[in-house]
Amino acid sequence: MTKNLLEIEDLKVRFKTEDGYISTVNGVSFSVKQGETLAIVGESGSGKSVTSLALMGILPANGEIYDGKVTFEDKNLRTLSKKEYRKIRGNEISMIFQEPMTALNPVFNIGYQLRETLILHYDMTKEQANKKGIEMLETVGIPDADKVMGRFPHQLSGGMRQRVMIAMALSCNPKLLIADEPTTALDVTIQAQILTLMRNIKEKSNTSTIIITHDLGVVAELADRVIVMYAGEVVEEAPIYELFENPLHPYTKGLMASIPKVHDVVDELYSIEGTVPNPSNMPSGCKFYPRCPLGNIECTKIHPPLEYISADHAKRCIKV
Amino acid sequence: MKYFLKSLLKTIPVLFLITLIVFLLVRVTGDPVSLMLPETATAEERDSLRESLGFNEPLPVQYFTYLGNLVQGDFGDSFRYNTDALSLILERLPATLELAIASMVIAVIISVPLGILSAVKRNSFFDLFITGGAVLGKAMPNFWLGIMLILLLSVTFQVFPVSGRGTLWHLVLPALTLGTGIAAEMTRLIRSSMLEILGQDFIRTARSKGLGEAIIVNKHAFRNALIPVVTIMALQTSTLIGGTLITETVFAWPGLGQLLVQSVNLRDMAVVQAATFIIAIFVILSNLSADLIYRFLDPRIKYD
Repeated sequence: MTKNLLEIEDLKVRFKTEDGYISTVNGVSFSVKQGETLAIVGESGSGKSVTSLALMGILPANGEIYDGKVTFEDKNLRTLSKKEYRKIRGNEISMIFQEPMTALNPVFNIGYQLRETLILHYDMTKEQANKKGIEMLETVGIPDADKVMGRFPHQLSGGMRQRVMIAMALSCNPKLLIADEPTTALDVTIQAQILTLMRNIKEKSNTSTIIITHDLGVVAELADRVIVMYAGEVVEEAPIYELFENPLHPYTKGLMASIPKVHDVVDELYSIEGTVPNPSNMPSGCKFYPRCPLGNIECTKIHPPLEYISADHAKRCIKV
Repeated sequence: MKYFLKSLLKTIPVLFLITLIVFLLVRVTGDPVSLMLPETATAEERDSLRESLGFNEPLPVQYFTYLGNLVQGDFGDSFRYNTDALSLILERLPATLELAIASMVIAVIISVPLGILSAVKRNSFFDLFITGGAVLGKAMPNFWLGIMLILLLSVTFQVFPVSGRGTLWHLVLPALTLGTGIAAEMTRLIRSSMLEILGQDFIRTARSKGLGEAIIVNKHAFRNALIPVVTIMALQTSTLIGGTLITETVFAWPGLGQLLVQSVNLRDMAVVQAATFIIAIFVILSNLSADLIYRFLDPRIKYD
């Protein structure tokens, strides 16, 4: 059995607002093995992005981890000093963001932004960093890499910028790569290219990846294992084939049913009724109950625990 | 460079328009001759003076004579000082520029660190103190602040001279008086500009790279936040050159503002026209330099 690179236990994140604290991640636990790709799936507001920002240690100023344990390579990340954390960030754990349009600094050229990480973590000279930067751009399939180094973000297309982001995130050979909706903001054809690129990277390197997405197509393409999040909790966890073959939680089933299928022509696409509950006003008992087709009075009384029905398949539902 | 030349060419019609407006304005404000001669002067005497100064010609003729002289560098003579207007102005210009630059330097030295810190520590006691101080700095009238500074630092503690121009010490109080108001405005602007930038996605990216907070704030954020600040700096510089009459009066600073107002009161046409023309050139130049600085700061701006 391969070792766990990252282990998150009972992670809780809250935000300070004018009406007091609002908890958006409520006891999330999962682990990522060496070389594994884990997908975190859920709607907007399910807490998947907040979880990733929390483990990078870059929550917004009003957010904080208030409980739980984050262990990366036997280091407890929560007890690290700011300086020690910075040495890991961008170096051992790096991140790709959703919006390539705004994630790069508009007033610095691509070369500067690529070199910066290398000079910071590897103590390279400008020339060395430049060489490595060009190499990284070539790795992610950017033609005329040496010319692109001198360009500014606004001179590149969305797909190109996302490639630059990926090159930047991979430049220090991270052990863990977090990709937060890496294809959401891109055109479909570009999405496919970026997914192919990410799969190639996965095959070539032993980097573990966490892919955060609401797109089950992306999950099927890249993931080894999936956790489904709802309202700040994990509601189902399973290996990729198991999840697509045998989804258990009604929410997961709902997500699967929402994927349009070419063969079954239907008048209306399936959708899960309602929206994710507001963190300041969570239903008691099961949080999915108000939207659940199986829910009954029993579900309002107990908050279901995450139950393992086999070694690697878990669900948070008392009805299935 | 091509853009710069083009902009310079574009300013020519602006300058012409300014000469026309000022030319007309000084002529509708009253008859200079009535101020130049004693009250006992006869109508004939007035008329002959008017004739000799060329005021009896039709306005268009007068204007084109004026323009014709202007392009040859002749701004006309001052009625009051009996010397040519341009040399009067050039005599005053160094004092004005000196004060303007010193005020701007003081404003930048105060506002940049305070604005940045205020944004980084937003809603803290420090931030509250600085934003409150900025409101106060903006609200204090210059003449009052100037007099207070004189009372405190010149009269009571005798650190700086009361008035006049000469040494570097003479410059401190007037520059501080003018710089305070500008610093207040720039502090607020830098704060709000920084706050906006610090919330951007690329700041999160910079954090995710493991960069230290100092580099994120001073490099990644500040370079972006500077863009609107440069606009205000350019505007303020042109205001400073255009005349800081009140401060100049309080400190008996021999600048352009003082000369301009005196000349308006005395209907010293040539001086008013020349001074406005020179000020207009400086306003245009400071706007042009702002344009050039933008280009350096923000690669997204392209001129052609």
